[in-house]
Amino acid sequence: MIQFLIDTIIRALDLALIAVALSGVYSLIKFPNVALVQYAVVGAFVGMLLQQAGLPLVLALPVSAIFVGLVAVIFNVLLFERLLTEGSAIALIGSLALSMILSAVFLLAFGPAAYRFDLAVAPAMRVLGARITVHQLSTLAITVAALGGFAAILFFTRLGREMRATATNKVLASASGIDTRRVINATVFLSGVLAALGGMTLAMRGSVSIDLGTQMLLPVFAAAILGGLGNALGAIAGALVISAAETFVTNTNFGVLTGTDFLFLPASYAQTASFALLVGFLLLRPSGLFTSEVSRV
Amino acid sequence: MTRTTPALATLLAATTLLSAPAALAEITLGAVIPLSGSNATPGEDQRRGIEIAVKEINAAGGVLGEPLKVIVEDSAGKPQTAIDAARKLVTVDEVPLVIGSYSSGITLPMGEYLVQEGIPHLNPASTSGLVRNIGDSSFSMVGLDNVSTEFAAKEVIANGWKNVAVLAVNNAFGQGVAQEFQKHLEAMGGGVKTSVLFTGGQPSYRRELQQLEATDPDAYVFTAYGTDAALIMQESFELGLQEDAPWYSILITMMNKDTAPEFKQGLSGMDVGYLGAGGEGYAATYEADYGETFLSAYGGYAHDAVLFAAKAIEKAGSTDKQALLTAIRALGDEGFTGATGEIKLDANGQRMSQPYLKFKVEGNDLVQMD
Repeated sequence: MIQFLIDTIIRALDLALIAVALSGVYSLIKFPNVALVQYAVVGAFVGMLLQQAGLPLVLALPVSAIFVGLVAVIFNVLLFERLLTEGSAIALIGSLALSMILSAVFLLAFGPAAYRFDLAVAPAMRVLGARITVHQLSTLAITVAALGGFAAILFFTRLGREMRATATNKVLASASGIDTRRVINATVFLSGVLAALGGMTLAMRGSVSIDLGTQMLLPVFAAAILGGLGNALGAIAGALVISAAETFVTNTNFGVLTGTDFLFLPASYAQTASFALLVGFLLLRPSGLFTSEVSRV
Repeated sequence: MTRTTPALATLLAATTLLSAPAALAEITLGAVIPLSGSNATPGEDQRRGIEIAVKEINAAGGVLGEPLKVIVEDSAGKPQTAIDAARKLVTVDEVPLVIGSYSSGITLPMGEYLVQEGIPHLNPASTSGLVRNIGDSSFSMVGLDNVSTEFAAKEVIANGWKNVAVLAVNNAFGQGVAQEFQKHLEAMGGGVKTSVLFTGGQPSYRRELQQLEATDPDAYVFTAYGTDAALIMQESFELGLQEDAPWYSILITMMNKDTAPEFKQGLSGMDVGYLGAGGEGYAATYEADYGETFLSAYGGYAHDAVLFAAKAIEKAGSTDKQALLTAIRALGDEGFTGATGEIKLDANGQRMSQPYLKFKVEGNDLVQMD
């Protein structure tokens, strides 16, 4: 049971940062940016390159995150601002295209092999019979700090107030003197930072290959939609629900059903759990777990 | 229609004129192997084997009096890339025979494409039982999984591991190994507690490993490619699975070079033999040319595939497909000795017997056991 809880939390860590980034940007510019999952991969690769270049990990992580934040802003200004004038569906398709292009660039630059950070690996510690590794703890700390920082910006700073105002009513926010374009780009920057941290913490716990973005797309979207797209912190709850479902599918021994000792569903079926939950929620409660002040497109 | 036909005819004539002299100048074969991706290390070994074979043949006067050339294409470890590469070899380079590839998941679709085109195919590495069904014009220079898993099951029983958990990559090769291994182990009185198939290229295999651990096996038996296996070994070490029970790798040279030494202490396994009787010359040339020992067990088989193909062309007297197929079958019947020992093919064109080796890991290296 403890192991189940820990596995769920660790899986939620995989999803939470990127899902929060997705939801945060959605609240302002009203389209889900598919390319965010690829920003996470960019973050992981850049972090690794920086580490290989001799930068210690504590520096490589923030430098790469800031770099990806700037990349996100550049793409937003060059691409999405223009596409959004045509409508959010166009922007969504544009982000899908960007995602594919980035994926092809990764293939050219890194090939299909998996890469890892250069980290010392120690056997797991036992906590109440469940296993926790050092890197699970360190990435938990990074994730909590990053999400806490994002929440603090959102709720306790002038920028956060402007972000919430713009999310609720962009025209009114603009009329009352808020530079909405600056607010949007600040949020896009933060989303890039969060996504990059998400990719790097994932890579710290395992490895990263060019497929990572595509593999994360479905569960991240499911988590963001469950949390109520546009409700940035709801995405954290969404990530926990999705990961609990996935962990249930892969950790449960279904042997009793067939009369055999052991029967586990293949781990790749975990995605099915997130997909089923997503479909169920879209049918029964399309606005997500929580009511959000943001109206969905 | 009327306007395009002359244009097409001109184009055809032009390409025929262009390609005709090239075909006369040398005998060209094609090979599709993984030069990038998870299997780039054994792929490089295959490339070296091919390079040495070409040198040997040309030093001895070539094939049918012409110099031999092998065009090597990258499969990138992906079926579609491999098929595209084979198509390029067949349609652009017009090779009479294609060697390839490495993993069964890629050799199968590529071999099927070659069979459709009627181009003879030599499999230098893939051991899935499904390779047997590729088609009439496909031949294996390596023994398939029914032969290799029997050897592995004997070893596992001899080590006193009766109930094991099996982890295999979810493709034609891994499925074949898992099924055949279970069949042989059960026939010898052992049992498989659970068989987990994993999808390659994942960022983590924690879930699969926890499923295996739940069955509390006497040993973990697995087969995985290069960097996937490296991550599996790292995570099994992190999770403490290596403390609970020993790990045994089927086809251990596929993964050994990619895995860091601290994550594979105590690992043992088996693989196809690097060399058969009479392979010492190949080993000496390899070490002289590349300054190190074999990267994997598979270079020798790629080397032998080239020698086998050259001998068959010599026998056929031309690169005509039908004559070449007949010559390959005749050569497979009478047997041919390469670096990996005697290659004799059964009625399905599959190698009948071959050497296997037992290994254990010491530090970063594989040490052969008796």
